[in-house]
Amino acid sequence: MTTGAWICLWAPLAGALVITLLGTSITRAVAAWISTLSVFTAFAGAVVTFVGLLGRDHEEREVVTSAYTWLATPNFRVDLSLLVDPLSVTMMLIVSGVGGLIVLYSIGYMDGDPEERRYFAYMSLFVFSMLLLVQAGNFLLLLAGWGLVGLASYLLIGFWHERPEAVAAAKKAFVMNAFGDATMALAFFVLMWQTGTLNFLASFEGAAGLSQTAVNLVALGLLGGAVAKSAQIPLHTWLPDAMEGPTPVSALIHAATMVTAGVYLIVRAHPIFELAPSISDLAAGLGAITLLVAGLVALVQTDIKRVIAYSTMSQIGYMFLGAGLGAYGSAMFHLMTHAFFKALLFLAAGLVIHHLANEQDIRKMGGLRGVMPKTFIAFLIGSLALVGIPPLSGFFSKDSILASALASGGYGQVLFVAGLVGALLTGLYTFRLFFVVFLGEPSPFVREHTHDHAHGEGPWTMMWPVAILAVLSVVGGWLQIAGVWHPFGEWLDPIAFGREHLALVEPTVTQDYVTSVIAVALGLLGIYVAWMLYGARSRPVPRNAAVQDTLEHKFWFDELYDLIFYKPAVLLTRGLRRGVEEPLIGGSISGVSVGTRETAGVVGEAQTGYLRSYALAIALGVAILVVVFVSVQ
Amino acid sequence: MGDFLVWVIWFLAAAGCLGSGIAVITFTNPFYSALALIGNLGSLAVLFLLASAEFLAAAQVLVYAGAVMVMFLFVIAYLGDRSEGVRLSGGPNWVRVGAIVAATALLVEVIVVIGMAAGDRLSDPAKIQRSFGSPEEIGRLFLTDHLLAFEITSIVLLVAAVGGVVLGSRSRAEDELDEAEAARAGT
Amino acid sequence: MQGPDVLWYLVLAAILFSIGTAGVLLRRSPLIVLLSLEIMLNAANLALISFARLHGDHDGQIFALAVMAVAASEVVVGLGLIVAIARRRLDLDVDRLRVLRG
Repeated sequence: MTTGAWICLWAPLAGALVITLLGTSITRAVAAWISTLSVFTAFAGAVVTFVGLLGRDHEEREVVTSAYTWLATPNFRVDLSLLVDPLSVTMMLIVSGVGGLIVLYSIGYMDGDPEERRYFAYMSLFVFSMLLLVQAGNFLLLLAGWGLVGLASYLLIGFWHERPEAVAAAKKAFVMNAFGDATMALAFFVLMWQTGTLNFLASFEGAAGLSQTAVNLVALGLLGGAVAKSAQIPLHTWLPDAMEGPTPVSALIHAATMVTAGVYLIVRAHPIFELAPSISDLAAGLGAITLLVAGLVALVQTDIKRVIAYSTMSQIGYMFLGAGLGAYGSAMFHLMTHAFFKALLFLAAGLVIHHLANEQDIRKMGGLRGVMPKTFIAFLIGSLALVGIPPLSGFFSKDSILASALASGGYGQVLFVAGLVGALLTGLYTFRLFFVVFLGEPSPFVREHTHDHAHGEGPWTMMWPVAILAVLSVVGGWLQIAGVWHPFGEWLDPIAFGREHLALVEPTVTQDYVTSVIAVALGLLGIYVAWMLYGARSRPVPRNAAVQDTLEHKFWFDELYDLIFYKPAVLLTRGLRRGVEEPLIGGSISGVSVGTRETAGVVGEAQTGYLRSYALAIALGVAILVVVFVSVQ
Repeated sequence: MGDFLVWVIWFLAAAGCLGSGIAVITFTNPFYSALALIGNLGSLAVLFLLASAEFLAAAQVLVYAGAVMVMFLFVIAYLGDRSEGVRLSGGPNWVRVGAIVAATALLVEVIVVIGMAAGDRLSDPAKIQRSFGSPEEIGRLFLTDHLLAFEITSIVLLVAAVGGVVLGSRSRAEDELDEAEAARAGT
Repeated sequence: MQGPDVLWYLVLAAILFSIGTAGVLLRRSPLIVLLSLEIMLNAANLALISFARLHGDHDGQIFALAVMAVAASEVVVGLGLIVAIARRRLDLDVDRLRVLRG
């Protein structure tokens, strides 16, 4: 069974290496298929591991397997080890499964790009990194995977590196994530110092004996990393810019997998977070704020991918909300369903973009329903799942989070209200997008580009993943029906540390039903309002200059960070360059040469050509030497 | 009485040394300087005798005063008028000052060193045989213990002889210069 | 020993040496410089002889003989140089002969 886990981990890396080493000796298509097959192999490995784990008893579902010892000192030891347990297997299945579908989709989407090989090598690298992150058996290996996914994200966002916007976006993502990496490293230092180990299980045990301050610091550091990676406020500004990358990249990295790594981290390290309740509450609060802010900003976006990006930010806010309150199972469930329908939405949007020759502005779109019927259906399914309309998957997962919030006391109930408002906003912005793009008469732009694609909406490599994801978006939620059937929650129970059930809070059946009803109602209300404004156009869109401005500037976060961080940094570097670099370091180099020449000029005066001055020098030298010899006696 | 005589001879020889030495460096005419040096060498030979170095005294007179100085006088005679020069330098002052400083410093230092380092041990000369410093002794040593020095010295002399011949030979340019001068003198 | 101590010989040698040094440094005619150089060498010889007498060892005298031979050779070469310079109608002035100026 652990062999499956190892195959799952190494297959994508092998794919990336093969593509890199073979270079241009293989065709672009071959490179693409190598990458796809490597990811599907990983999926196979994940399935094998899953089955193996199922065959075990409840208590035996945590297996640690080590490849070799990387560092062994008397006080501290780190192995290259994987932890195979229900949580990691869930993530493995999601990453490799959805990832495989997206890489397959890329074959069609990136067809014709001259640098396809590089793209697929990067994609395989990313899948490997993400798998490393979720399979790691200790914090150090997790940090390695964490950094590598950041790298892969940077490489893929900036894939079209001739575009300055893409390069800038890649840098922004990397730098912001570096901040999170730093806080995480600090947390690990504290953990290592206080408990002497970075292995998950051992450090959880050790953490129980730490002072509250120490635990808070560790949890805060972990939260910093999670917030950066998952694009929650305040470290969220990089995600919308990351849409500069190709659409499959946005689907895989910035919707389904990498941005969910923060949620995974909180769930994985939940014993530590439980020991630091103030930090957990902070996480939940940040999630709530993010889901509201992102939802509001999504209302004014005109780029199809950015709407979906803000939607991702918002949904991850829900996951943070759940994880922060202790509803780990619900958060993971939502993570899974979100992977399905968000990837579906991105890929469907990709079909649209591809069809319209890379146009992403929704103001130029309209009436695509008749032109791309299959895409229309796929997008509809994704949107409904996102808003949480039963019986689609989003309904079950989102509502379980909201119900847990309701059951979590006063603070939780405040967040519950925020979550409900978020549900309304979700319906509004999602269906604004849907109606604008698909309904009505085809716009002139659309008409121009329609006859280019006589062969249908896309090649099979693009259509089949969309179809599969659509099906998953529908049935995926049926793994857990509140109050009736909880296989998903029970599956994750073994990772609970020191107790029977994973979830800290169990909503009552009444709370479940009440939540569901209100949430669905609000979602439908949002859809209705969107219909009124954008579908049937029976009312004009309300415009308020101040609100519009704020939303369009994304609550001025970019401007704020520019002022606080970027400008002072630039001033500092300029000052250093003028004051230190040029005079001291540059000057010292030229100073050496100038000084040498001048010294040579001075010393050269001694070569007078006079016999007598030479003789004098000898005589004086002898005089001095005599003194030296005498005194040394 | 014998000791007193030795002291007198010693002082006379020493005075001769110093006087002729100063004469060498102060005379304008190099011919006179060379003659003064011969006097210096003679005084030194007397001092050598007093220090029981008979063979060396003889060698000094024969070789140094006899051969080397004669060579000097020959060259001075050959050069004639051109050999005269200014007594003291008109050159840079710092050379003069430095020279005096260096010379004085050396003198003082040597005396101080001798006084400090070896004051006691200098008043107790070893007992020697009558044959100390005789040609027989020197010769024996040259051909046994110090054979290498003997051989190398002979090579040095050979090299010097060759060098002298080479340096002294005429070159084409000089011949032409001489002819030009003779022609000018003739017309 | 009869007569002055070795110390007296050494002091005399030192004074002679200084005289020779002054001559080398102060005169401009190469001939006089050579003569002064001879004075210095002779002073060294005197010192060597004195020490040989002090220790009752002939080594100092042997050394002095070698010095004499070398001095003779050096005079040969030096005079050859002076003759060559004179033949080329150059000034016999040490301060003027500075082609080797660096």
